[in-house]
Formats: sequence, structure tokens, C-alpha cells
Amino acid sequence: MRANSSHRAAVTPYLFVGPLFLVFALFYLWPTIATVASSAFRWGMLNPWQTQNPADWQFVGLSNYADTLNSGDFWNAALNSAIWLIVFPTLVLATSFPLAILIWNTRRGASFFRSVFVIPMTISLSAAGVIWSFIYNPDVNKGVLNAVLHVFGLDKASFVFGPLELHAGRWLSDPGILHLGFADIRLVNLFIIIPAVWAFAGFGVITFSAGLTSVPAELIDAARVDGAGRLQLVRHVVMPSLRPSILVVGVVSVIFALRTFDIVFVTTGGGPAQDSEVLAMLLWKQVFQFLDTPQGGLAAAIAVLMSVAMIVIAMPYIRATLKEQR
Amino acid sequence: MKSRWPMFALYGVLSVASIFWLVPVATVAMISILPLDQSSKGWWHADLSTATLANYGRVWEHGLSGYTLNSLIISLLSVAITVVLGTLAAYAFARMAFRLKGTLYFLLITTMIVPVQIILIPLVPWFRTLGLNQGSAQYLGISLVHTAFGAGWALFMLIGFFSQIPDEVLESARIDGASEFQAFLRIALPLSVPGIISFVIIDFVFVWNDLLMGLTLLDSDHRPLTVGLANLQAPQLNQDDIISAGSILAILPPLILFAILNRYYVRGLFAGAVKG
Repeated sequence: MRANSSHRAAVTPYLFVGPLFLVFALFYLWPTIATVASSAFRWGMLNPWQTQNPADWQFVGLSNYADTLNSGDFWNAALNSAIWLIVFPTLVLATSFPLAILIWNTRRGASFFRSVFVIPMTISLSAAGVIWSFIYNPDVNKGVLNAVLHVFGLDKASFVFGPLELHAGRWLSDPGILHLGFADIRLVNLFIIIPAVWAFAGFGVITFSAGLTSVPAELIDAARVDGAGRLQLVRHVVMPSLRPSILVVGVVSVIFALRTFDIVFVTTGGGPAQDSEVLAMLLWKQVFQFLDTPQGGLAAAIAVLMSVAMIVIAMPYIRATLKEQR
Repeated sequence: MKSRWPMFALYGVLSVASIFWLVPVATVAMISILPLDQSSKGWWHADLSTATLANYGRVWEHGLSGYTLNSLIISLLSVAITVVLGTLAAYAFARMAFRLKGTLYFLLITTMIVPVQIILIPLVPWFRTLGLNQGSAQYLGISLVHTAFGAGWALFMLIGFFSQIPDEVLESARIDGASEFQAFLRIALPLSVPGIISFVIIDFVFVWNDLLMGLTLLDSDHRPLTVGLANLQAPQLNQDDIISAGSILAILPPLILFAILNRYYVRGLFAGAVKG
């Protein structure tokens, strides 16, 4: 009897976890293994690499990785993804953190302001891209941004400030370049990131607002009795309490930044030329747009490289988040 | 007591920021209710007496009705499967000790980090092998992919709620002879409703807003609204009127859900992951 019940106790957890794990194994673990394995073969989507027909396998070792790392297209997309990885989380934090602090300090209207910033959070990045295409419309009679600039006579202005070359008006076609010497940063990426930040900042605002309620009131009072100024208060009392929130927002926006596909797909499709092509887009084009060429292995190699990069970048954050949760 | 910021500066900054945030939505809303000849002169000096809902009717008949139905089916099915399987698993991770716990947790939580591209390519032949590439089976297929991919999020959010339930509550249920499953169903679940609702919102928004999976895994009769909207984007055709109406239709359902359940979502956040 006793042995029986302890046996049951040992099995019960697996009955709870089992169903989710089964779905995970079939639709995540196995495809992941297949991606990694297929990156060592030469194949195209018309005749995809599959375990059940080993006769078709064309083993090429690591040459898909070598070809990828030697291709200009890859490094172009990697640079654009790097821009996303740096600029997107920075802008999300730089907008949502101050907004949340400001809202926290209002006496009235906090919920109104919070709603204004949080509502776009439910908007998909693809819809955000469509919506902002209206704002960016180069026709001054249709696009708000250019209409406003037109009033100041700036809608067709071109500027050169040192390494920065900016053409107003053509936000999604040819907004300019930042020459950094080792790399040319295409500004079109920035103008795709802005709508993404617009849509995503609400997640930061709502997360920080929730976090701010956990700042102990006694701590704030004590700091003010000690004569702390407003900025000191934010820096020494509020910031430490918000560390878990900052981590969550930072990690989630980093994760989103590397996955970016939707908003690029609807705004520019990776163009003009390949100026806004990110890794996710390059991979998708290679495998699903050129079905007849055997680029599947190359795309799989890109997927593996992206995942490795993400794990390397995000691991310390995830560890820290999990530790804070314990 | 909060610190006293100069109130005019505070409200000034917030108001300017609010305008920046509202203009895109206002733009699309205005274009969507104006006839094309009005909006192409600039919606900001359009004649509001010409406002009409005709654009919505046209975009609905233009094929968006089918895409909307697809999106609803996929989102509801995905969320349902994820919540059922996710709460079960999260309960075990939060309340039970077992040998493979650490390994399984680590594996499942990686879905939060690893980009979706790692599974995308082989899923196409894999769906063919499993018979999930035709007809309505595609709904099930993509929902299971969303479930697998949402597993990490589900656990991350839900474990926090289940571990906050006091031991005594579950213990007393066990003393009354309840099985572990009954304790889960009758006690743990009802106590975690705010957490589950905040997860439902996030997951629904996430699935509803997916473009890449729908575009890649489904045939054209089963694709979601995000794909339908992207298909309307054709600069050479002057159809701002129906594109804007379509955008509004695409953003409404998650927005309504969020508005209704916002209270729970915030409460869930307050109690859950963020506070640690």
C-alpha cells in the first residue's frame, strides 16, 4: 500500500507535465533538432531534408556555415539585426521608464496616460508597420510627418552632419546613412524601429507601473527626510526596486529585436535593395522565396547562428531573472 | 508621499508624449472613415460630414471576413490548448518535487529565448508528414506550434502564481482526501484566476498578432488576418481606405479583450513575475 502510493507520487508530476512536454517535443524539440541536422546538408524546399529518405541526403559538413559567414548578404543582415538588438531595447527602455516615472508622479489622470501608452501594446507589429506607413507617406497631402515638415519647408530637406547623411521625406525608401567608418548604418532601419518602439513601449510602461507599486513608501519618506532630490530618489530608491522590471523589459525587447520579421515584411520587405533586411528576413527569403535553389541548408545554418547568438546574449539576463524570481 | 515634481512640466511632457502616441491611431481611424477622395487631400482638413463606414464593408467583403475567422479560430484554439496544458505543467513545477524537474524546466523555458526561426523551416515538411498541412487540420497544427512556443511564457508566468498559494490550503485539501489533480482543479486553479487571465491576454495578443507562422505554415484559405492585411499593402494600388479599415479591424479584438480584462492583467502583473 505504502509503496504503491509513493510510486503514484513519483508518477503524478509527469502526468501533469507530460501533455505540455509532448507538444513541446513534437513541435519544438524535434524541429530544432531537424534544423540543426539539416544545416549539414545541401537541399532546397522543393525537396526538403527529411529523416525518412536518407538516400537523398547530400552531406556537406560545415560548408553551409562557411558559405554563410563568407557571404555579404549575411553580414548585411547581421548588421541590420545588430542595429535592432541595440537600438530597439535602448529606445524601449528610454521611453517607457521615464514615462512610467512621470505617470507615477501625477496626482490625477494616471490611468488615462497609462492607457494612452499601453493601448498600442496590443497592436501587432505588422499592423503597427501598416499604420506608420500612413504617417511616413511621402505625399505631403497624405503623410502627417511630411505635412508637418512641409510647413517648415523641411519635407524635402537633405542634411549632412559629419558622418550623418539624412534625407527628410523618404523615410522608408531612402532616409540616409550614418557612415561609421567600419560600417554604414542605413537609417531606414531606425524608421522601422520607431513604430516597433511605439507599439512595444506600453509593455514597459505597464511593467514599470506595476513594479513602482512595490517601492516601499517608508523608503521614499526616509530618503526625502535625508534630503534626497528627485533624481537622487529615482536613482537610489526607485531604480533598485525596479531592477526585476528593468530586466524583464530589457530581456523581452532583446528577444523581440532578434526575431523581427513582421514589421520589416509589411513596411519595406527588406528594401530598398537590402538596406533593411534582417537575419530573420534573409533566412525566410532563402528558404521560402527561392524554392528551386538548394539554399535550405544555408537558411538552417542562419537559424542556428541566430539561436546561438540569442542564447549567448540572453543567458546572463535569463539567469538573473530566474534568480530574482526564486 | 511621493516627491513633488513641477506639475506643469510633468503634465506638459506627458501631454506631448500622448499626442505623439495618439496621432498614428487617429490617422488610421480618420482615413478608415473617410472616402478616398477626402483622405487623399489630407485627413486633417477633410470634410467630416462625408464620414462613412463604407470602407469597412468593402474590406470585409474584400476577403478580410475569412481572414478574421481564421485568426479567431487559431487564437482561441491556441490559447485554450496552452492554458490547459500550461496550468497543469506549471502546477507540477510549482508544487511538486520530481527527478527531471530541473532538466524539463530548462528545456521548456528555452522557448522564451530561442528565436522562432529555429523551428520554422522543418515544420513545413513535418506538417506534411503528420497530415497537418491540409484543410482544417492546419488550425490544429499551427495551434500546437503556438502552444509549444508559448510553453516557456506560460510556465514563466503561471509558476509564480501557483507557488504563492499557501501550503496549508493545499495540505488541508489533501487531508480531506483530495487527489493531487482534485487539489489542482478545485483549489489551485480558482485561486490563480487573475494570473491565468493575464497569461490569456498575453498569449491571445501574441498569437493573434503572429504573421510569420501563419504566412509560412498555412495555405491561403487558412491564413490569419495579419497576412490578409499585409496582402492589401500594394503601393501601386491606391487603396488607403480599405487598408486603414482593415488595420482597425485587425487591432480591435485584442484591444477589446485587453480593455475588458485589463484589471486582471494589472493585478496579475502586480502579483506575479514583476514583483519577484
